[in-house]
Amino acid sequence: MKKIKKVLIANRGVPAFRVIHTCRDNKIETTAVYSTPDRLATHVFLADNAIHIGEAPPIESYLNKERIINAAFKSKSDAIHPGWGFLAENHEFAQMVIDAGLTWIGPAPETIRLMGDKIQAKNIAVKAGVPVIPGINGIKHENEILDWMKKEKVKYPIILKASKGGGGKGMVKVNSSKELSGAISQAASEAKKAFGDDELLAEKYIEYGRHIEVQIVADKFENYIHLFERECTLQRRNQKIIEEAPSPSISKDLRKEICEKALDLMRAIKYESAGTVEFLFDPSEKKFYFLEVNTRLQVEHGITELITGLDIVRIMLDVAQGKKIGITQPEVIPNRWALEARINAEDPKTFNPSFGRISRLQIIQAHSVRISQGVYEGAEVPPYYDSLIMLVMTSGPTRQDAIAAMDRTLSRNLRIEGIKTLTPLLLSLIRHKSFQAGDFSTRFIEQHIDELVSGFDEISVDDELLKISQYVAEISALGPQEWM
Amino acid sequence: MSGFDFVTPQMTPKEIIKKVRELNGVIFTSTGMRDAGQSDFKNRLRLYDLLTLTRYYRHMGLFSAECHGGARWHVGVMNRKESPFEEIETLRKKMPNVLLQTLVRETNLWGYRPYPKNIIEYAVQKVDIDIWRCFSFLNDIRNMKTLAEVVMKRGRLFEPAISFTQAEWTTNNYYLKLVKEIVDLCAGTNEIILCIKDMAGVGSPKRIYSLIDAIKQKYPDLVIQYHRHATDGLALPAILSAAKAGVKILDAQEDSLTRFYGQAPYLALQAYLEESDIPVHFNRDAGEKAAEKVRSWIGDYKWAESPFKGFDHTVINHRMPGGAFPSSFEQAEKGGFLQHMPAILKVMSLYNKIIKYFDVTPGSQITWVTCSGIVNSYAKEMGNTGVQHIITLLTKLVIEKKLKFEAMDKQEQEELLTLFNNAPGDFKNLIMGHYGRLPMSWPDDWVYQSAFKDEWKIKIKKRKEISPLESIPADNINKLKNKLMGIINREPTEAEFILYLMHPNDAVNMIEFREKYGETPLVLPTSVWRNGLKNPGDKVEFEHWGMPYCIELLSIGEESDGIIHVVMRINNKTRVFAVETPRAKKIETRMARKSNEIGSPIDGTVWRIGNPSRGTLHEGDIIHKGEEICNLEAMKMENAVTAAFNGKIKEICINLNDTVKENQLLFVIEKEN
Repeated sequence: MKKIKKVLIANRGVPAFRVIHTCRDNKIETTAVYSTPDRLATHVFLADNAIHIGEAPPIESYLNKERIINAAFKSKSDAIHPGWGFLAENHEFAQMVIDAGLTWIGPAPETIRLMGDKIQAKNIAVKAGVPVIPGINGIKHENEILDWMKKEKVKYPIILKASKGGGGKGMVKVNSSKELSGAISQAASEAKKAFGDDELLAEKYIEYGRHIEVQIVADKFENYIHLFERECTLQRRNQKIIEEAPSPSISKDLRKEICEKALDLMRAIKYESAGTVEFLFDPSEKKFYFLEVNTRLQVEHGITELITGLDIVRIMLDVAQGKKIGITQPEVIPNRWALEARINAEDPKTFNPSFGRISRLQIIQAHSVRISQGVYEGAEVPPYYDSLIMLVMTSGPTRQDAIAAMDRTLSRNLRIEGIKTLTPLLLSLIRHKSFQAGDFSTRFIEQHIDELVSGFDEISVDDELLKISQYVAEISALGPQEWM
Repeated sequence: MSGFDFVTPQMTPKEIIKKVRELNGVIFTSTGMRDAGQSDFKNRLRLYDLLTLTRYYRHMGLFSAECHGGARWHVGVMNRKESPFEEIETLRKKMPNVLLQTLVRETNLWGYRPYPKNIIEYAVQKVDIDIWRCFSFLNDIRNMKTLAEVVMKRGRLFEPAISFTQAEWTTNNYYLKLVKEIVDLCAGTNEIILCIKDMAGVGSPKRIYSLIDAIKQKYPDLVIQYHRHATDGLALPAILSAAKAGVKILDAQEDSLTRFYGQAPYLALQAYLEESDIPVHFNRDAGEKAAEKVRSWIGDYKWAESPFKGFDHTVINHRMPGGAFPSSFEQAEKGGFLQHMPAILKVMSLYNKIIKYFDVTPGSQITWVTCSGIVNSYAKEMGNTGVQHIITLLTKLVIEKKLKFEAMDKQEQEELLTLFNNAPGDFKNLIMGHYGRLPMSWPDDWVYQSAFKDEWKIKIKKRKEISPLESIPADNINKLKNKLMGIINREPTEAEFILYLMHPNDAVNMIEFREKYGETPLVLPTSVWRNGLKNPGDKVEFEHWGMPYCIELLSIGEESDGIIHVVMRINNKTRVFAVETPRAKKIETRMARKSNEIGSPIDGTVWRIGNPSRGTLHEGDIIHKGEEICNLEAMKMENAVTAAFNGKIKEICINLNDTVKENQLLFVIEKEN
């Protein structure tokens, strides 16, 4: 495998930010790609050069495979890193990259294809001795679901997912038979749009489940190493917003078991590069079920890096260049607790997206804080893409210390104006008694939303100053007012 | 505490009254924080500036500081955007040893209409005031009952006031009858102060002496306070004769705040009284310092001073109260009829002989609106000749014919019967007894004929003889609170709710103002509050919530498309503010408002109009309840918009791929009947 000289990052925002930095650490040049509304975006200016690849709709730009490969040639890049989202789990694209003579930084196209098909993935898991949730595959009609539920005595709620999907898109929870047909068409349509395929699967929905995943790295020399687990239980609309490592909900023995099972599965598919095995953990029965394999770098990989001290993107680059992973399993020793909060551009009460210009962005980074920033002050958050604008990670010797560092960072040290963000909700979450006690489920946010909203800080000193300044600006420009 | 402390808020009313009775000489109530500003500066004196006086008030040896009530309340909400609640809270903190005093309009409290008993009880419970001066523009003592009960039960000092004017019918006997009613209402003289409220400043020294002397002879233990405006130019001699007759407490204000319509200047008054051998309990040093302090900021209020300058001895005829002068002239200026002011004042002096009550809120407003209305309508129709004509007509009725309507010519009678045709609703309420009983008698029948035309006889029958406390049905407090909650979208504070009870619209405006501009009214110096920053480099520094702040102006841009860009350094960080001018082009986004209009549930882009099974929908298509009619996408999540009822699409207000705002109008539907 040849040495990589220049990487094109087929992504934008936070993932592009992340990959570019490791490339720079390793003296590898980078190329950014951008759509028309992203012409002045953060990632464009972090790279060594940038190439326009199309208009705003993702399908014309960040999902446009040919344009991206052409951009790689044009920029003399010899490798492509897909980041996460967009084409990261698109095996056709991975194959196109390889066929074009470029290096694909990620698992083999065949692995992506195999694991992208949820039905096959589940079968493989069963064969590898990994427990799975009861479910049915390849649904085209409502009746197939009804028959399956009858046969396997599955009760509502169930969840519909895109067979090719991941990341919450194309996932719809169904509470009763009344909702079923509407849910199928919604899930199919979202699946088609996000992944280009409308095939669905249905599964039993575990109500108070917790979401635990194991980070794996592997090379071409059959070295399979786990970097321990992450807990990603706190979600809204099936998308994670707070993650932590290690998981506060499993014992030492269970940790060992879950990590071993994940390795078993990855060995069975001869996985290469970085990937994640996701499990749903049922705390009442202390059982975990295989959910899926994410054949890519994940948003929350940073907290694993914080607890292990490793650079997962660096490992991906090494593996892609045919190098061995320079570390053995016993050398992976987690020595702290890490927490991640996703700053999404969303209304913290309704989760409606909030886009527009960020008129002010300030974040004070004191000790134990790591930030991945997909935007800058003055940047425009366009309505076309994912709402993630920034990742805030904190760490400390204990969970409590990591939470304290997160609290200080998200409260007075963070200031974002011009758009709404999830920050008030994130703060309210980490201050919640149940969160601090480690007692929560994937439904925690929907169940406690009113309580969480009531915990939002109403006014800050900065808000107040801005209001006063607005007044001074208006009166300075307009003079004394009639109402005075 | 200070060596000059005379009474403190911790004392009971009984203890306070005992102290005053034992006082050798007199003591002052400072009106510097309320009536002084109301009478000469349209109530615009801001808490920001008044707070500079508290360090002196603490040592001044005042009986009390009047700092609340009257029109200051309403103007605070409406113009200064200061809440009377935060005012007393702050003053209490800054001068904890000084008694705080309010002025209330019996059943009208701090508003302009009579409130039901339960609202009075509710509001009075929640206001932290030591001395409650209460007046009635009708001198209808019955109307004070609820207030007296709540205040006295709370252990606060009740100060009933009798409204004073100099007229042939306001005799000593008339007032003695009122004082008896008051003493009966308050179970004696041990826990109250009686106020003589000379709100127009018309009491001549002799008349005042005679009145107070008569009261003191009958009630030697009654503590009396004299409230007097300076309008006629005779405040000092009148106050001296009041003190000689036995008044113990006198209203006065900083000499440097004194113009024409407020109270007497306290330094001058002290010297004048002491020269007449009346001792004054007053720390002159603190008084001088406060008066000096006023000079450092009073220049910022030149714009608020009355355009009608100088003393006005004719006030004894027109009787406009000092507190109403600036606002009346302001209205006349704004309404473009300032030139008719002398005529209006003349009509007022005739009007108050036809309908007898006291020109003080809300009576003074009724007089003002009615009389200025009459003059303006004559002026509009016949110019100055018309104005002269109506004065002649009224003079004939009042002076020549001694109010005898029948003695007027037929034609004059007919004209008089149109006089109150267009009188304001409050005038009609007044003569219908909605505020209480008129002090002497109801007006003559022709006034009712003029106001109510054919219905006048029925109206007289329906006239109320009982107090509004008896006649007004209770309000549903929870319902009112919910209503406010619906307007401001959150639970109101108690203070906000009481503001709303008194002045619903202005309170909501103020709440919205404060939500938008925070505590701006409390932190900005007056020049910046009113004029902003003018030149590059100008800055304003202040402390707020324990932090230092600095706002510095860098530049103000040219207006372009109705927008002015203002660049400022906020705590050293450069920020650009886009300020919309009144000429700003408002890009109207149509919002869904009616029940047949479907709005967007989110901010997003329209990626499908219609649904997969039916395809694209068009205007005129029939839609069914629950059917998806369009789909919005925002950050890759789909959001179906469904029809809430059966109907026909009347209008599709969006195009495919439009970016829409939350609640933006998507469809207009013709509902199926």
